Amino acid sequence: MPKITIDGKTIDLPAGATILQAAQALGIYIPRYCYHPALSVSGTCRMCAVEVDKAPKLQIACATEIADGMIARTDTAAVKKARKDVLEFLLANHPVDCPICDQAGECSLQDYYMDYGLHKSRVAPEDKIQRSKHRAAGRYLVLDNERCILCTRCVRFCDEVTKTNELTVSGRSDASFIDIREGKSLDNDYSLNIAELCPVGAFTSRDFRFKQRVWFLKRIKSVCTGCAAGCNIEVHYNENTVYRLMPSPNPETNTWLCDRGRMTYKALQAGDRLRKAFVKKGSMEIEPAIRHAAHLLDEAARKTGPESVVVLGSPYLSIEDNLALAELAATSLKTSNLCLDFPREQGVKDGILINKDDAPDANGLKLLKARYAGLDQGALIELINSGRIKLIVAEARALSSLKEKLRELSNIETVILAVTKSDLDFESACVLPYAANFETEGHFVNYKGLLQKTTPSVAAPDGVKPLWTVLSKLSSCTGAPIRLEDAAELRERISEFIK
Amino acid sequence: MMEKILLKTEAADIEAYIKAGGYQALRKALAMKSEDVTAEVKKSNLRGRGGAGFPTGLKWSFIPKANTKPRYLVCNADESEPGTFKDRELILKNPHLLIEGLAIASYAIGAKQCYIYIRGEFAKETGLLSDCVNEASKRGYLGNNILSSGFDLNIAVHRGAGAYICGEETALLESIEGKRGLPRLKPPFPAVVGLFGCPTVINNVETLASVPAIIEKGGDWYSKLGAGKSAGTKLFSVSGPVKKPGVYEIELGMPFKKFLEDYAGGMLEGSKLKAVIPGGSSVPVLTAAEALKMNLDYESVQQAGSMLGSGGIIILDDKACMVETLLVLAKFYHHESCGQCTPCREGGGWIEKLLRKLEAGKGKEGDIALIYSIAENMLARTLCPLGDALAMPVMSFITKFRPEFEAHAAGNGCGKREAGSGKSTQ
Repeated sequence: MPKITIDGKTIDLPAGATILQAAQALGIYIPRYCYHPALSVSGTCRMCAVEVDKAPKLQIACATEIADGMIARTDTAAVKKARKDVLEFLLANHPVDCPICDQAGECSLQDYYMDYGLHKSRVAPEDKIQRSKHRAAGRYLVLDNERCILCTRCVRFCDEVTKTNELTVSGRSDASFIDIREGKSLDNDYSLNIAELCPVGAFTSRDFRFKQRVWFLKRIKSVCTGCAAGCNIEVHYNENTVYRLMPSPNPETNTWLCDRGRMTYKALQAGDRLRKAFVKKGSMEIEPAIRHAAHLLDEAARKTGPESVVVLGSPYLSIEDNLALAELAATSLKTSNLCLDFPREQGVKDGILINKDDAPDANGLKLLKARYAGLDQGALIELINSGRIKLIVAEARALSSLKEKLRELSNIETVILAVTKSDLDFESACVLPYAANFETEGHFVNYKGLLQKTTPSVAAPDGVKPLWTVLSKLSSCTGAPIRLEDAAELRERISEFIK
Repeated sequence: MMEKILLKTEAADIEAYIKAGGYQALRKALAMKSEDVTAEVKKSNLRGRGGAGFPTGLKWSFIPKANTKPRYLVCNADESEPGTFKDRELILKNPHLLIEGLAIASYAIGAKQCYIYIRGEFAKETGLLSDCVNEASKRGYLGNNILSSGFDLNIAVHRGAGAYICGEETALLESIEGKRGLPRLKPPFPAVVGLFGCPTVINNVETLASVPAIIEKGGDWYSKLGAGKSAGTKLFSVSGPVKKPGVYEIELGMPFKKFLEDYAGGMLEGSKLKAVIPGGSSVPVLTAAEALKMNLDYESVQQAGSMLGSGGIIILDDKACMVETLLVLAKFYHHESCGQCTPCREGGGWIEKLLRKLEAGKGKEGDIALIYSIAENMLARTLCPLGDALAMPVMSFITKFRPEFEAHAAGNGCGKREAGSGKSTQ
């Protein structure tokens, strides 16, 4: 393997590695704009220039392959000057409108200027080129060509990752600008990645725009529950509000994050977030609603026997919550009518990330099914058709597949567990809200069988509790308690499933 | 006796060309082993006439032998540099010499498909070359089984769309492929990954037109023409206030003074030589004194502080305003920058704006130093040579004609032009 020395430190890497990669492996940071590890090398920003022994001029680290015995330096006067000069060129026609730019605080122009520039501007204000400032670019983005440094990461992303080719560079020389191709709209399923790839404030997220200064944001790693992919994310939040979701690259799951996944946090804030329970369309405090639900369960069991009650698990719920549902059926209600069978078609739908299965935990549910067995889907339908069922306890989206059937059989009552009103597409005797994934910890098994955990970042609305807590309370009001009173108990009970 | 190779015959007509001995070198080459053809060109010390002066035979030998992909020969006829107009003359006067050269070079490197990428503005030349290719094909000098040798060659004449940058060889390849003419990162070099990802040799018109004589008379013969490492003859296109502007073929090594007097006819009456841009507008300018000491060969021009480049000699006289002249060049290179890489994209326009103000007498103190510094920051920092093509003239103009720039900065103009009018006051 070729051995290279950078700033006196030596490393050997496989042939084909670049100076930039070697520097990275040595812990030497080389500033860059156009380079991105997940995209092809364009070599155009010239920010990563380094000195290479015997080379007559500076070489760009992103495109220069290492050779055995190569000696490179990133700390010389020539390299420092080159970086400063590139920054001066990039800022020459830049509006420096940081006070109104959302990128401020995470902008490579700002950061590198502080690290490598610190020059006084030599451009007369009247010599600056004015460009278009806020062009709508698809559902989620705004394009500010004046702030653009033409690194073309965005163009390459659309060409190489989504392969949708919406973007191009129009014009030439200093009249070049990022453009949306004629007849196209920047509406691919991954468009928000562009806001993040953009090292400056040229592409910003319309969703995030003007909402929060990035330096106020706190960051915590979690897992997206928007589909079976199980993408790792970073939740950016402040003062009990989630502001955006970013990918937290993990070779096992994801480099990017889809737009739908990024928007999953909106369920927390939407007007249709359930903060109270509902009983027959009427709002009710949660505690009395739980007691009301218990009453419904008791009555059904008393009148028609425990076997007239069905409890459904859900591929949309964490292992914890499904465990609580299974326990509610087995321990508390003592009904054998538990269904944990939700066959889902899984696999990457678009060759990138999005999974055919929009539920995050079908595989976690399978683990519980192995332990609790229960009805399969066929038997469940048969049972419902038999007319022996009087009450169903289920999570809203899991119930959704049965809604037509249930409308036909109007004598079946439901106790529905839901986070938002929009998940409720079926009229219910009782709706109980519970804490969403950003508000509580939960384990999920993605389509590849990878067990992962979400981390809470914000608190649930007053009185809204994790589902396992809700179900535990419900069980205490009817039959035998399932004893999932606290996190320690829960952890012990699910330990056999999350080994 | 001054040898003429390139403009020896002036026969756009194939009959006349054949009568003058044309296509005999191709016949000879096809009877040789292809590697022997390359060896002969190596022996000749022929250097690329497009501007860089890279040894032609060596370039041909970079085609990887083990690579089984198709190979391409591309003729760069995108002659667009201000002051350079020699290839156009060669195409108009001796098109079959170029085609014969193409056929020999294609045979040498094993190409069955050849492209002539011709400047978009050369409409007439495009038509002429297309006709000549057809004529040559009809007579069996191109097409299948050329002269019963078993060698096949097809030539496509591809007309550009008006971008100077497409004269840069990798931008040219992109353009042929139907993409925007953006220079590629090198390596990989075109000899390995060129047109359509295949091994490709790109040669200038004049370079290829020099090949038939080398095959006909031998590399040794050619190498003895000219001056040492600058072997052979070369076309020089001379423009400016001289009595006989035009294209002349001379053996390399001729004193510039002699060329100016004997070929260009000397300066116009009342004009005094002030400066010379010897190799097309992108090379450093020389003062009259520097120019008059140099010989027209690669080494001597370099010694004088510039480059032989394409051989496009721009003569400037005492009436020329150097600020205005530089502004014209800056405007050109600003306009023609592809915009891909930072220093060239941002530097060109900035320099032009400052020069414009300076020329109009609205410059500020410090502007000259600023312009120089911007050029310095572009130099050797760009992806392709276009950045240098502006930086070098800027730096040399300011260094060598500073008082003129200072007079403009002081608001006095230079007395040669009405400030900002762009029109001569003489």
